[in-house]
Amino acid sequence: MDVELQINNSASPGARFLTWAPSPGRIRMTNPAGATGSTVNVRITSASAASAGAVVFRRGATGAFANSITVPVPVNGTSVPFLVAGRFGRPSTSNGDVTIEARAGNTLVGSVPAMVRIRKNANTLTPAERDRFVAAFAQLNNQGLGRFADFRDMHTNVSSPQAHGAAGFLPWHRAYLLDLERELQAIDPSVALPYWRFDRAAPNLFQLDFLGVSDSLGTVRFSNSNPLQFWRTDGVQGINRRPFFNTGSAPPGLLSEAQTLALGTQYRAFRTMEGNPHGMAHTSFGGSISSIGSAARDPLFFLLHCNVDRLWAKWQRQNGRFNAAQAASYDPGAHPVGHNLADTMWPWNGITGNPRPPTAPGGALAASPAAAAPGPQPTVRSTLDYQGAVSAAARMGFDYDDVAF
Amino acid sequence: MATKRKAAKKTQRAPKRQASKRGASPTTTAHRAVAITADARRPPKERTAAAAAAPLAVCESEDDFQAMLKVLRDGQAPVKVRLAALQAIQAASFSVLAFEGCRGDYIATLRQVAEDPDPELRQRVLGMLMREKDGFAQKKLLEGLHDPDKALLPPEKALQLLGNDVHADTYEVARAIARKPPNEAARREALRLLGADATAAPLFEKLLLDKDELREIRQIAASALYALQPDRMQKHARDILLDKSDYDDIKATSLSALTQLGDETLSDDKALMKSVDRFSTGKTTARYKQTARRFLSKYGR
Repeated sequence: MDVELQINNSASPGARFLTWAPSPGRIRMTNPAGATGSTVNVRITSASAASAGAVVFRRGATGAFANSITVPVPVNGTSVPFLVAGRFGRPSTSNGDVTIEARAGNTLVGSVPAMVRIRKNANTLTPAERDRFVAAFAQLNNQGLGRFADFRDMHTNVSSPQAHGAAGFLPWHRAYLLDLERELQAIDPSVALPYWRFDRAAPNLFQLDFLGVSDSLGTVRFSNSNPLQFWRTDGVQGINRRPFFNTGSAPPGLLSEAQTLALGTQYRAFRTMEGNPHGMAHTSFGGSISSIGSAARDPLFFLLHCNVDRLWAKWQRQNGRFNAAQAASYDPGAHPVGHNLADTMWPWNGITGNPRPPTAPGGALAASPAAAAPGPQPTVRSTLDYQGAVSAAARMGFDYDDVAF
Repeated sequence: MATKRKAAKKTQRAPKRQASKRGASPTTTAHRAVAITADARRPPKERTAAAAAAPLAVCESEDDFQAMLKVLRDGQAPVKVRLAALQAIQAASFSVLAFEGCRGDYIATLRQVAEDPDPELRQRVLGMLMREKDGFAQKKLLEGLHDPDKALLPPEKALQLLGNDVHADTYEVARAIARKPPNEAARREALRLLGADATAAPLFEKLLLDKDELREIRQIAASALYALQPDRMQKHARDILLDKSDYDDIKATSLSALTQLGDETLSDDKALMKSVDRFSTGKTTARYKQTARRFLSKYGR
């Protein structure tokens, strides 16, 4: 007897990536040999090491998740749906470190390797996670000749009004990070974008084997084994980043996570975080990252913004702000183009010319085999329900290690 | 123009100020922070701490923006307070739509402070200006490289900042400094800058292959050559890996380059694979062994 397990409604290994938000799964009989009735009760469960990812299951749209479920699987090959999610607090550390198993009685009748792929604190990555991330990022840039050049060109002084200074600041950067992350995952699917938690010390981040160590001039040095030693953007070699704080501690003057989350329960109040901590985190350095037009030259920029996005996600979870129909979830006023809920966002919409920038680098937002949303041309609205809390179809396929579903 | 902008901003501000009487909104808190930062009677520590809460006010209010610029220009104010004001204004500049109307005054003030007696302040504002590709800053930095008496920054820092907007005359001065550097840091930064100069490839080949050269310089040369002439870099990286007498760190750089850069032909290169295999099990550091294993796994070994 054999069954086929599909994750994210796909048999493709590329779709076997989970987050805390539930993913659709399917099971169907592919070889009914040995079955005696019209259905066979199959127990779906998982196996993994204690330090690896763990998953939970649920039969329908409601109810509690459990470590295993029993599903009557028709012998005629009809698929039976179920939901599967990462168990909060148990992210994977490598691809396939958790196996989803199907058993009829004690007999294993099907299994697929999977990964609970979660955005983690960069300071706590395992060396292997760190190395995979760095290698994928270096490859994406490929000396300034790779796909990363588009991401560099998306975040400039010219394009800045699309992304800053108004309500769409957080949605735009959420889409931007997701686009980048999916490109990294096309290189190495086990990579999730880590975040720099800038209100806490992150000494492991500023090391030769990770994002480098700045000398007194602000020239960033890397170990000889770090592929970021070949980093180049805008034709210029290396990274210039001069911290104004001891990188063994957190930069001073930034709002803490608790202070940021307490800015207000209305989005309009919360988004003032664009100045502090966001802007203050950027300007706790000299060098590329401290100016808007050059910030995206530095890989640290993406980890900084990942933390900004995490803070938004945490605020959304804390206050239940996923539903765009509720005024508190977004700023309902009239905004410049690109910042209103119904607006499509540049550059993914391909629209150029005033009031949009003159070019739209990069094309549509990258697709993912593990999540359909937000689609190739995201709107501001489509970025809010990133976990699919309001509508399961809105799930974007990323989660943070400390923000539950 | 400034007056018009001021009037418009005051009209926009009025409701927020009224609201603030009912409770401390983020805007009100930021406005108070600006007042504290600008108050010369207060202790520097208090002024510096207050500046962190100021970015929001800088975007919202012309008066607050001008007050922060005044602190930045104030040569009598403690440098720490001026640096904190500079950081707050810079943080506010990330809110582009609101900041756009302030940009002219902001750049003019930065240019003014670029020649301040305090070296840290000079360095920071010149960095900001160069990242904006500011012609004034570029001219000042080049002048300083030609004539040290006019230098606003040490040559190594000036070269680094000029990398934000490289022109032919910048390469010229970088070549001169690379030939006859005033110090090692200046030589290093000149070479980094020349890493974008297509004509410099022969220089980098020479530096990469010179075992007597500083290893940091060889690493810079490898990175430059990787970009300028990848085929030459692949050849030299292979030669370095086959050379038993070369240094492990340079071998690791070569391996990192080949892992990213190497083409399929390398998988048939038995001598190279044997050499890397030996490196991966030899006496080198665990980190370098891992780099070798990553290379070997790329080629299915």
